[in-house]
Amino acid sequence: MRRDVLSKWRAWAEHRFGLGPLREQVLDRRVPRTAWYQGDGAALAALLGVLVATGMCMTPTYAPTPERAYDSVEYLSHEQLLGWFIRGLHYWAAGLMVVMLFVHLFRLILVGGYKFPREGTWLVGVVLFYLVLTMAFTGYILRWDERAIYALRAAMNMMWRMPLIGDELVVFIQGGEWIGERTLTRVYAVHVVFVPALLVSLVGWHLYLVMLRGVTSRAERGHAIRTLEEHQQVYKAAEQSERDGEPFHPVTTARTGAMGLVMVMAAAGLAVVVGPGQLQPPASLVAPAFPAEEWYFWWYSGLIALLPGWVAPWFVLAFPAVVFVALVSLPFVDRSPYRGIRRRPLAAASVVVLAAAMLYLTDLRRRSPWTGWPDAIPPPVPATAELSRDAQRGRALFAVHGCTSCHAVGGHGRRVGPDLARLDPPRSASHLRAYILQPPPGVQMPAYHHILSEQDLDRIVAFVLVAQTFPSEMDTE
Amino acid sequence: MDRRGMLRWAVRGIGLVMAGLVGGPAVATLLSPVFRGRRRKMWQAVGPVAQFQAGTIQHAAVGAGQDSSLERGIYVWRREGGGFTVFSRACTDLACPITWDAGSKWFFCPCHGGIFDQEGNPVSGPPAYPLYRYRNRIRNGTLEVDVHSVPPLV
Repeated sequence: MRRDVLSKWRAWAEHRFGLGPLREQVLDRRVPRTAWYQGDGAALAALLGVLVATGMCMTPTYAPTPERAYDSVEYLSHEQLLGWFIRGLHYWAAGLMVVMLFVHLFRLILVGGYKFPREGTWLVGVVLFYLVLTMAFTGYILRWDERAIYALRAAMNMMWRMPLIGDELVVFIQGGEWIGERTLTRVYAVHVVFVPALLVSLVGWHLYLVMLRGVTSRAERGHAIRTLEEHQQVYKAAEQSERDGEPFHPVTTARTGAMGLVMVMAAAGLAVVVGPGQLQPPASLVAPAFPAEEWYFWWYSGLIALLPGWVAPWFVLAFPAVVFVALVSLPFVDRSPYRGIRRRPLAAASVVVLAAAMLYLTDLRRRSPWTGWPDAIPPPVPATAELSRDAQRGRALFAVHGCTSCHAVGGHGRRVGPDLARLDPPRSASHLRAYILQPPPGVQMPAYHHILSEQDLDRIVAFVLVAQTFPSEMDTE
Repeated sequence: MDRRGMLRWAVRGIGLVMAGLVGGPAVATLLSPVFRGRRRKMWQAVGPVAQFQAGTIQHAAVGAGQDSSLERGIYVWRREGGGFTVFSRACTDLACPITWDAGSKWFFCPCHGGIFDQEGNPVSGPPAYPLYRYRNRIRNGTLEVDVHSVPPLV
């Protein structure tokens, strides 16, 4: 009796709210069999949902003015009930979304996901790729800490390289000649209104196309498909087959939803265990600062660090543009009839090389061996070493004259110049003297001939001579 | 053209008129900071000349001279031979905040390994250009810089 009533209500709602056709066309259809790894798209959708929900929860607290922004984030993170969890979830969902974005991109290149009849799905996806990266970038500007303001300035420096309209572009983004109140409100508007509105609409379109044109199935990867008709036949056959097809709901939805659940759980876990992104000191263009971008952009930063001066200024603008053109033209350039990786070694190799390069560059940026920085602390000395008076003085002068800004000793310190405990072969006193006074041409080290007195030079040389005998990997106690 | 064809054009026209009516002003207002005219000289005080020791490079700050803009750090070098050189604190690669190392007499960038010598010339890393220099002058014993003599983002 009660069941009857319920199903009556359900039928009424389906009819009056137009849910019937939606159910029939979306949920109750058959699709080719799905593999677990095709859940990367569902994971992205789930993370986007988390980001929208948590983002909405933070807007009532966040104050988009330079005076109040930092404090409001602090308040959210430390005082508001569960604010730390919401912000942590937002932070980690964003990071995982960037990771999954690249996973999704690379996977679709591997299976030829951009090939007909799915060029439209791909192109909308390319735009989504840039929009997600824009969100990932503008999000951490809103914290308005040291990292935020210098990340913003770095981005504007890239824009400034634009020929003809560089200045105007910077003024447009800054909202004026200098970074200030209008800059933050503009970034806020982009992160909270403009891009999300566009992003969510385009995700809708992307998914609509996924539903309409399907996704690359295993059946398509076995052999060459040359025409649209052929493709339709293969796809339809897989859909309807008992062996190669499955109902979309609840089979495909469960299988792909699993990865979505895993990702959301991961974001929640990281939010609880690690917490939200740490706030650096408040934004200031005056205070001494040592900023770095968020970890999901380390690969790009590492790449920029490797560029020589004649490439760097235009690369920062040309690289995203070239990637965009490459992604957009991919479906029209790669016309081969194959979709499986066995017949497309170039695609497979490219993805492996790109992924490996991104991981390598990420680690390189983490280590940043190219960065010199003044350090007033003299290098450590092994407990067993006995330093002469001159060497003792030399050790102090080593820090005073900025040697520590570039040179490590026994693995401790900066890596711009050679580690002085690892000089091979060890250098003589006369060699060191001459080198310090006037480094050979092509060596990036300041000449100290007008800077050091004879006595100080002797002392520094005395220290370096001893340092050469130190173990190459010193323990600090 | 038949009646239906004309109607189709009319509908398109209605759409265009409405889009233009809102879209034009919308784009113009968003772009408005760009139309505020050319950057004129804007002199801002840094500090009394006596505050800077000859032969040293000192950190100082300069305001924007506009409400709600952030102060920026600069490096002031009072040359022994007389005269000032005022560097922007922005690395010429991506505008990260460089720091002056009085020991090695070099500027270090914290981001991608940019290093500049005392004259502001790049010696290492990606930077292709020397450090930006503010135009400076002395008025009534006070060092002033033209904040518009460097690019808008530094």
